[in-house]
This record gives sequence, structure tokens and C-alpha cells, in this order.
Amino acid sequence: MLSQQILNGITLGATYALIALGYTMVYGIIQLINFAHGEIYMVGAFVGVFMITVFQQGLVVSLAAAMLACVIMGVTIERFAYRPLRRSTRLAPLISAIGLSIFLQTLMTKIKGPQPIPFPHVMEDALYKLGPIEISKVQIIILVVASLLMAGLHFIVKYVKIGKAMRAASEDYDTSALMGINVNRVISFTFAIGSSLAAAGGVLVGLYFNSVSPFMGVTAGLKAFCAAVLGGIGSIPGAMLGGLFIGVAETLGIAGGFDTYKDAIAFTLLIIVLLFRPTGLLGRPIQKKV
Amino acid sequence: MKKSKIYFILSALMITALLLTGCGGGGDEKKQAEGEKAATGGDTIKIGFLGAKTGGHAAYGVETLKGIKMAVEDINTAGGLLGKKIEIVEEDHGSKVSEGTTVTQKLITRDKVVAIIGDPTTGITKAAAPIAQQNKVVLLSAGAVGPGVVEIGDYIYRDVLLNSVGAPAVTKYLNEKLGWKKVVVVTSMNNDFSVGLTDLFKEALIENKMEIVGEQSIQDGDQNFAAQVTAIKDKNADGIIFTGYYTEGALFMKEVRKQGLKSVLVGGDGLMSDVFLKMGAEAVEGSMFFCGFAVDETKSSDKTKKFIEAYKAGNNGVQPDYFSVQGYDAVMLIADAIKAANSDDPEKFRVELAKTKNWEGVSGTITFDESREPIKSPVYLLEVKEGKLAVKDTIEVK
Repeated sequence: MLSQQILNGITLGATYALIALGYTMVYGIIQLINFAHGEIYMVGAFVGVFMITVFQQGLVVSLAAAMLACVIMGVTIERFAYRPLRRSTRLAPLISAIGLSIFLQTLMTKIKGPQPIPFPHVMEDALYKLGPIEISKVQIIILVVASLLMAGLHFIVKYVKIGKAMRAASEDYDTSALMGINVNRVISFTFAIGSSLAAAGGVLVGLYFNSVSPFMGVTAGLKAFCAAVLGGIGSIPGAMLGGLFIGVAETLGIAGGFDTYKDAIAFTLLIIVLLFRPTGLLGRPIQKKV
Repeated sequence: MKKSKIYFILSALMITALLLTGCGGGGDEKKQAEGEKAATGGDTIKIGFLGAKTGGHAAYGVETLKGIKMAVEDINTAGGLLGKKIEIVEEDHGSKVSEGTTVTQKLITRDKVVAIIGDPTTGITKAAAPIAQQNKVVLLSAGAVGPGVVEIGDYIYRDVLLNSVGAPAVTKYLNEKLGWKKVVVVTSMNNDFSVGLTDLFKEALIENKMEIVGEQSIQDGDQNFAAQVTAIKDKNADGIIFTGYYTEGALFMKEVRKQGLKSVLVGGDGLMSDVFLKMGAEAVEGSMFFCGFAVDETKSSDKTKKFIEAYKAGNNGVQPDYFSVQGYDAVMLIADAIKAANSDDPEKFRVELAKTKNWEGVSGTITFDESREPIKSPVYLLEVKEGKLAVKDTIEVK
């Protein structure tokens, strides 16, 4: 029973982690909390539904299409909503992000209506017994896809040139620009990767919970943001760990009968962790240079 | 200094604007109300319709009005009431509570209706009822199921199936006809309807000596029910009593099937929606819920059949739902009370209305108990069958 609940929690946490990565990567480079990130996740889920219902595609194609659509959207958003504000006060892009978040929610409500819509039937679900626990096909898909994407991200960041550039830009934005790194390209790329992960998260969550709605990005975005901060904002492994941590804690909380406080669990955890480790679980302390 | 002056003027202007819109029309209404309280004369009996034709609850209002109009037509073609014709005064409050009270006021003071039918929702009924009570006009809601409605006063009535009638009847049915002994109860904690219905079900479960083997809580708006379903999985329950609304009900059942559980769900009319069928798809197959009326070709009385036929003829073959039926019954209840009192003075016919006992309506038999709450029979138990709603059974209430 407990192990079953932990599995439920890990599945939920894996989707949080996918969203949290976008928050943390963007923050790592331009110190912006991209509050429209939850809405990218929502749009990703809708694109997935659209591909399945209108174009009769399978899960893999729909997932890829949703990721591609959100890459375009993420890069466009960065280009038009954030880049013009990059040298202004830190509050300006934040407000821009909140505005964008409201705009996207309202736009989707206008197009599809405020009611949640069911996620179309795309494959037969099955249940497998694994010792004391039962794992469904959907859960396996979520865990496998999320792990693959995270492994891919790790590979890019560690071993590919653009990944090195990302790390350099996150270390010191101005110096890396002086060293000949095209920082604008790096930032666009960061938004592209973050958005594609969020889109994947959206489609997987739609598949898992069987519903998508224009407002699904709000709480998911907040929880993922919590996960990112909990793990140490700016840290990629931190976001993964934070996501899983919050997913498991939330599920165990519900199982323990604290459903009413479900959403409070993530935030309480955040407060507790930040009290003892202000930089988050895996965050590095910022050294002030004099 | 200059800036703050401008702000001051601006805010002063805004406050005046607010005050003006707030009081708009208040003046002449008062004038009209003054000096009149003369007995309602004339050659028509006016009944007001309080409901929404636009906005969020438009579907309820429009359907109720259809039923009301059919009843009025039936009465008027049969010669009217006390030699007079009935006239319906229609208003639209656009699903807004504030407008609802304005409309009520208007119906009473300007149109001088003797009775108001509406509102289909509990919230607006509770806002309008004190006004009707104060002005001694009968208000009969054809849709309000929530608590605290008829308690407002002795001019306030409703003709709906109450959860306090439906839940015990269904529980008894589950126990005696389907042999259920152990159930799991799922409540949506941020939904008053659900919390209230859970209490009623629990009371009935205890009375029927059934066992609650598990209790889970959810929230309206939740999408992830994995933890709750895992927690009830090994309880071996005969079924799930789910008191929330349709979206969460459908998603909950999806998760139940995903985790390989075979149980079906039983709930109240909060599940009554196409969304439940569409979103739940095969996962809600076999799920049951009770409601005050459904079209049942086999068991319905001649009166009901006649209504269904007439409704279908006027609505391109669409079947009536319980709002139109209750709207129809509401007019008929008032008409019969007026006939019995031989007067269209609300002060007189409300006494007759309170005496209503085993009254045969289209939606079933209605009795008002000593606290003027309706006891309706039968309770319709619907079941999802091949993706459609079918009447599983009708449960007679004593």
C-alpha cells in the first residue's frame, strides 16, 4: 500500500519535475521567474489533444508535435515579451510574464471554453503486477518518457557545445558574452528546451489524469515553481529532485487523509526547507563579489 | 500637490458614478410601491417567472420557463382559473444574484403578481425569498435543492426532490435490491452540496446497517485521484458512494478503472451532465445516480406521458429534463391551491398550498410535510448504460 502510494507520487513528481526544469533553467541564466511557463505546459497538453483528435495521430507523434509547437511558442514569447525588457528593472519582465500567463489562459478559454475536456482515447491501458505493487501502462510511459527527457537534457547540458554555453551564461552572463558566446541564442535555446519539456509534461499529465483545461497550468505551475525553489533554483538536478519530492509528499499527504491541505503541502515543505537551507536542497550559495 | 488633486477629483467622480448606478431606478419603484396594496383585481391572474434566460444558469431558466408556459396554456385552453386567464410575467436576471432581487421586487411591486415561480438555483431563491415573504407573495422554486430555503417563511415553497428524500431511498434500494453491504464514501470537501449529501448518505447507511469501509475526500477542481483510489482499493467494497459533481465523478471513475477496480459509483443529481458521460466514457458504465425526474417510457403515468409527448412535439423531439417538468408542476400546484381556496389572494391560497398531499404531478407525487418541505415520490434511479442514461428503477417513497 505504501509502496503503491510512493509509486503514484513518483509519477506525479516526474511531471512536476519536467515543468520545474523550465523554471530553473530560465532562472539560472536570466534570473527571471517565467510565470507563463505553466501556461506553456497547458498549451502543450491542448496541442497533444488536437493532434490526437483532429489529425488522428498516435501518442508519439502527438507528443513530438506538442513539444515542437511549444518550442516555437517559448522562443517567440522570449523574443517579444522578455527580450525587449532585458535591460530594464527586474520587475518589468516579471509583470510581462504574469500578463502573458493571464493572456494565454483567457485565449484558451475563448477557444475551447472553460470546462475541462477529456483527453482522447489514444491507447489501451493495462495493469502490470510487480510484486506488491501494480503499475499501469500510462505510469510506465510517464516514467520512461520523463527519464529519457531528463537524461537527454543532462547530456546536452554536460557534453554538447550549446550546453556548455548555457552553463557559462548561467555562471556569468556578461563575461560569457565577452568571451564570444552568442548569449541571445543561448537564451532562446534555453526557452526552447524548457518549453518542450513543459509540453511533454502537459501531454503526459493529460494522458494520466484524462483531462485538460485552460487553468491546469496554474496550480501545476506553482507546484513546479516550488519544486524548482525547493531543489535550489538554477540547479537542474535540484529541479528533478524537488519535483519528485513534492509529488511523493503530496500523494502521501492525500493518502494520510490531508486532502484538503493537498496544495498547502508543497508550500509548507518549501518554507521548512528554505528555513534550514535558504539555497534549496542542491542550490549553491551565491558568493557576493566585492 | 497638483497630482493628488486630480486623484481626488477622479476618485470623487468614481464614487458618485458608483452611487448613481447603485440607486438607479430605486426612486420610482418606491413611488409605485406606495399607496397600493389593494386586492389584486383585473381579469387575469399574474404569475411571475424568476430565472435566467442568459448567463451561466440560462439552461435551467429556459427549461423551467418552457414547462411553465405549457402549464399556463393547458389551464387557459381549459377555461382558465376562477374564470380568469393566467398570465406569465417573464423577466431575465442574467444569472446574477443582485439582478435576481431587483426582478423579484419588480414582479411584486410593478406587475403585482400573486405568485412567483423560481429561481431554479438555491442561491438566487434564497436572495429573492425574503422579499416575497415580506410582501406576502407566494414563491415556489422549481429547482432549489439546497438547505435553508423554505425556512425563510410560510410563503416559500419548492417542488423538487430533496437529497434528504433521495439519499435514504437510494441507500435502502442498494441494500435491499442490490445486496450492498459495504461501501466507500467519497466527498468533495470544498463543495457544500457534496458535504451535505455525504451526511445524509451516512445517516441512511447506519440506518440500513451497512458498513462504511473507507472514506476519502477530494476537492472540486482536482484532477489527480491516484492516491484516493489506491487507498480504497483493498477495501473490498460493494460500491462507491460519490457525492460530488460530474467532472470529478468521471475522472475519479477513470482512475478507479485504471487501477483495475471493478466497483461502480452511486451519487446524487450533481452527476447529471453530459460531461459525466463523455468524460467518463466506459469508466462510468454502470454508475448510478438519483434525480427527481427522468423520461421513462415504460413506467410513467398517463399524465407524464402526455406531457412528454407535448414537450417533444414543441421541441423537435428533444426529451424534457426535470427543470421543465418541475416548472410545469409548479404552475399546476399553485393553480390547484387557488382553485381550492377559491381566491387568488396569496394570503388565502398559500394555506391551501401547504395542505397539498399526495398531489399527482407530472414529475411524481408531491406532499408538503409540516415544515412545508416537499416529499416526492418516486425517486428516479438512473444508470449509465452503453454510454447513455437509462432509468434503472423508480423507487417509491412512503
